[in-house]
Amino acid sequence: MRRITRIATVGVASAALALSATACGGKKSTDTGSSDSTKAGTTAAIAYDIGGRGDQSFNDAAYAGLEKAEKDLGVKGAEAEPTEGESDADKVQRLTELARKGNNPVIGVGFAYAPAIKKVAAKFPKTTFGIIDDTSVTGPNVANMVFNEEQGSYLAGVAAAKASKSGKVGFIGGVEVPLIKKFEAGYVQGVKDTNPKAEVLTQYLSQPPNFEGFAKPDLGKAAAQGQIAKGADVVYAAAGLAGSGAIEAASTSGKWAIGVDSDQYNQEGLAKFKEKILTSVTKDVSDAVYNLIKSVKDGKAQTGEIRYGLDKDGVGLADSNPEYKKMAELIAAVDKAKADIIAGKIKVKTAP
Amino acid sequence: MMKIDKDKLILGAAGPVLALVSAFLLTAVVLLATGVDPIEPIRLMIENASYEDVQVLIINQTGTYYLAALAVAIGFRMNLFNIGVDGQYRLAAMLSAVVGAAVTLPGPLHILLIVLVAMCVGAFWSGIAGILKAKRGVSEVVSTIMLNAIATALIAWLLLPKNLGVQPEGSNDLTTGDIAESGWFPAVSMGDSGEIYGFTFVAFALGILYWFILNRTRFGFDLRATGASESAAQASGVDAKKMILTSMLISGAVAGLAGMPTLLGDTHTYSLSFPVGVGFTGITIALLGRNHPVGIFFAALLISFLDKASASLDQYGYAKEIATIMKGLIVIAVVVSYELVRRYGIRRQQQKVGEELAAGGAMKTEKEVAA
Amino acid sequence: MDAIPSAPALSFLPSAPSRRGECVINASSPPPAVELHGITKRFPGVVANKDIAITVRKGTVHALIGENGAGKSTLMKILYGMQKPDEGTIAIDGEQVAFNTPADAIARGIGMVHQHFMLADNLTVLENVVLGGEKLYGIGAKARKKILEISDAYGLGVRPDALVEDLGVADRQRVEILKVLYRGAKILILDEPTAVLVPQEVDALFDNLRELKAEGLTVIFISHKLGEILKVADDITVIRRGTTVGTADPKTATTKQLAELMVGSELPSPETRESTVTTTPMLKVSDLTLTATDPDGVVREVLAGIDFTIHKGEVLGIAGVEGNGQTELIEALMGMSIPDGGVISLDGKDISTVPTRKRREGGIGYIPEDRHRHGLLLESPLWENRILGHVTEEPNSKRGILDPKAARKDTERIVREYDVRTPGIEVTAASLSGGNQQKLIVGREMSHNPKFLIAAHPTRGVDVGAQAQIWDAIREARREGLAVLLISADLDELIGLSDTLRVIYRGRLVADADPATITPEQLGSAMTGAARGHLEQDENAAGNGSDSAAADAPEDEAR
Repeated sequence: MRRITRIATVGVASAALALSATACGGKKSTDTGSSDSTKAGTTAAIAYDIGGRGDQSFNDAAYAGLEKAEKDLGVKGAEAEPTEGESDADKVQRLTELARKGNNPVIGVGFAYAPAIKKVAAKFPKTTFGIIDDTSVTGPNVANMVFNEEQGSYLAGVAAAKASKSGKVGFIGGVEVPLIKKFEAGYVQGVKDTNPKAEVLTQYLSQPPNFEGFAKPDLGKAAAQGQIAKGADVVYAAAGLAGSGAIEAASTSGKWAIGVDSDQYNQEGLAKFKEKILTSVTKDVSDAVYNLIKSVKDGKAQTGEIRYGLDKDGVGLADSNPEYKKMAELIAAVDKAKADIIAGKIKVKTAP
Repeated sequence: MMKIDKDKLILGAAGPVLALVSAFLLTAVVLLATGVDPIEPIRLMIENASYEDVQVLIINQTGTYYLAALAVAIGFRMNLFNIGVDGQYRLAAMLSAVVGAAVTLPGPLHILLIVLVAMCVGAFWSGIAGILKAKRGVSEVVSTIMLNAIATALIAWLLLPKNLGVQPEGSNDLTTGDIAESGWFPAVSMGDSGEIYGFTFVAFALGILYWFILNRTRFGFDLRATGASESAAQASGVDAKKMILTSMLISGAVAGLAGMPTLLGDTHTYSLSFPVGVGFTGITIALLGRNHPVGIFFAALLISFLDKASASLDQYGYAKEIATIMKGLIVIAVVVSYELVRRYGIRRQQQKVGEELAAGGAMKTEKEVAA
Repeated sequence: MDAIPSAPALSFLPSAPSRRGECVINASSPPPAVELHGITKRFPGVVANKDIAITVRKGTVHALIGENGAGKSTLMKILYGMQKPDEGTIAIDGEQVAFNTPADAIARGIGMVHQHFMLADNLTVLENVVLGGEKLYGIGAKARKKILEISDAYGLGVRPDALVEDLGVADRQRVEILKVLYRGAKILILDEPTAVLVPQEVDALFDNLRELKAEGLTVIFISHKLGEILKVADDITVIRRGTTVGTADPKTATTKQLAELMVGSELPSPETRESTVTTTPMLKVSDLTLTATDPDGVVREVLAGIDFTIHKGEVLGIAGVEGNGQTELIEALMGMSIPDGGVISLDGKDISTVPTRKRREGGIGYIPEDRHRHGLLLESPLWENRILGHVTEEPNSKRGILDPKAARKDTERIVREYDVRTPGIEVTAASLSGGNQQKLIVGREMSHNPKFLIAAHPTRGVDVGAQAQIWDAIREARREGLAVLLISADLDELIGLSDTLRVIYRGRLVADADPATITPEQLGSAMTGAARGHLEQDENAAGNGSDSAAADAPEDEAR
């Protein structure tokens, strides 16, 4: 009966139910239990997007939120990774399994989980489902965590325009999907509003369903080198792991790089290049994850759209680099833009 | 009617069995070498597969893989390596989803239209490689790989909202818009365990058709003859160039169907998260199944089992890549063991023919003298 | 490795060993060059070697004869170290040896000249000879000197600096022989050396062999051409069904006796004397032209102005050294290649642009020169091979659907009627011997009552028994009005079977002859391009090789 211990280790449904599943051969993997019998908020699960844990970006940020919840709230965390090229049915299966083991909330990292959450959420009405980067799927037990990436990117655009001497700045998108286009839109608008004569060089590393553009640093490096060769002296890469290649390229040629998602100045892997990481557009996925878990544990589960914008510091611009802090004019411009956006004086476009 | 040659059957089964056993043993060695319990993950996978909902997933995946592998096998049977199945089915699924979402027709017609569009698109895409091969002698391996890349770029471009794509409100996904319910293929409901896509049965029916065409029609004979010996087929009156083009078109048309179980049975739209890589898995399966419709079925079932039963391994603390390792090892083992069995078979048959002739030699000699 | 043999005494033995019926030679005095005893090889094929015993005297030409597939090649592979016998002993110069690789055999002075030459075309003779033997005499002046020395000693007439690609077949063969001698061979194995040569070249080869013999070398000569063997051999050993069945003295033996030993039956003859030729043309070819482009872009005429007519009941034989356009002619007739000009008509209908399948349906039967490439699916069962080429015809299919039952039944009939030796029709074609494969092809092609048959080397690699059957089948069909285009390297077959003879040389039909009067030598000289026009009987008396042109005989009608 190793199965029981195993299940207990993962901290799922009651041993009795698991036993029955093993003993009678089990009809369905979803038979063994449901969250309805477990106390909400004691276990939380996240289902990763392609790349899984260790992508130094999106998925890792989600994991950081879970980790924090484990530490601060005493919640047990469960994780599940996708297989490349899988279908919606596989995602449904994954979420179902996580939900029936009593995890609450169950969080799908990435918009690809939307169709699956739509189906699974209806089957587990007492479990809260979180989805990041999507508001298309709604329900009484669905929390849509979305970010105003364009706002953070707008500030990056302001900073880039101010820091650039050549009047040429670069944007590198990982994969040409709407989400990354949001980054591009905000950035371009921020640059143009600050310096109408500035030129933005835009490049995407790959086209879906080829997601190499989020994963291969060499692609980012080559793209950044190309833009620098064309005269760009600030390069903003919204490209996940591939972005680190862009940072390396910019740093080695003495140009500014702007990081993304987390504060990349403080990332160990990039310590060698951090001098030239001007700033990073942060997207606080970990906080969003943590908040959702906390709300479920507190019995006040979040539902509906939870938007993280500049106002809630859900997105923002990092200022860890001492060089950045010395640029008073730049900081003033960024702060003004931020205030204007929060006040609604500036409307940032979500598509280029 | 079919003569069942016991020897042939045993030899036929020996290859896959040898391959699977050695692949499993090798996997166990790999696991042991990395300090992982080699039995437990496999036990877990078998247990997973005993759940009805996982079984439904496996069967649905088998249908998809089956179609892709059939497409590859048609090429293989005449020595054409259609690596482009992946691009063909994705492009076909995408464009047929666009057409399917754009029209509303009475049920069967709607489905038929979608399926026909998918077949035409698949055939068109593989046909490019076919024409290049027939007219210019361009290796189909090279051209289909290229066409895969082109298909990827083309789909990405077509899927942009300014072209054929739709970005649903609040979503970061891009889709082709939803196909109306008349274009959904009826499914077999398994209650809470989900439903088996109706198109899965179409896939298996196609396997029977494949067998019939290949083994019972003139066209099939010509195709197999070309695969066995192009020069002999040409001398027998087969127009090799026409044959290349025809079989590429058929292969592509079948490849076009590979996206249909998912499209018509589940997603009803082509989005950025539409399954990819099915075409490449199809190559493995066709190889493992020796291009035989029954063999392909079991191979598809096996690979689906590995895929689906391993999906939740990570929740028990085992890397689900164990299944990937196993798949890789199966491919290597298949190539080696089939060659071994083939050589053994040839030797054995020669021996048998020799023996039988020696036994009946005296009688024949008299006959020869008489002649 | 065994001990190095003591320097062999070059002894010329008067040919007087005791020979009693089917017994093995037991030379009592000096040790024989090669002595094989009780050689048995259980080979996973159709024929194995069984208790073979052969003694080859030093300084002789020893012929090893037997049907194709009798086991000659296996035996020679054993002697050359390419295969190890399961039982039996090999003794060289009286000393027992065991060869693991050909290198061991070479070290003991055994050399092999293969049927298919193994020369690099783009290298010179010198380079080819020293290739792999650089350690012997280096690659420079010393090697050249050695080559010339050997060449002079045995009258090989080899030019060290000629490019191999410029050499003819006979010259290449001499290079192969020289290569073997260069490596110190004292015992030469020649595997079917005359198969690729025209009669004049055969004679020259035999002169070379006599030189070798005179210098004390030993030659083992494998062949199934009995006439030649009687000319050159000192001793003859006959192999049948994998074992030695007897020896013969070439001074007294006749080809008939040898043949009987070989097959246990009478030697068949291709002779066809009663004419069945009619005046109704069946196949008419006029001004057929085909060009090909070389890899370096040079356009070459492979067929030029080919004109001939074959009537119902007529066999037209085409003689020619291989590679003079025969293959291209066949392919053009079959519709496998598209000629640049000319008209082909079958039974009065122009078929110049008709695809291959329609031509076959229209009554062209085809026995291809390379049955493995063009006649069979080697890994398919016999009954599927019976369908090949006739998939659209009865009994193989009806309205697009195959009828495996009928095809199997008809395959069984062919197997029976054409005496294809096989345990069943489910075995693959590859598991049959060459002769049986060929019988299956002939049976298949004859089963569809062709109007016109292309028979390219119909008995090549076929044993004597099967040969007779194939000839019979062709003769019988001819009597019923079949027109046959016969292409063969076997001049006896060509002369015996044909009603009309034409010679093809460099893509043109350069000469014609009456098979009733022509000799193989005459034909041979025409094949090398030495004679043109109509080859007359009386020219023969004046000797061959002369330009016996009764210039430009009517090209169209051979008779």
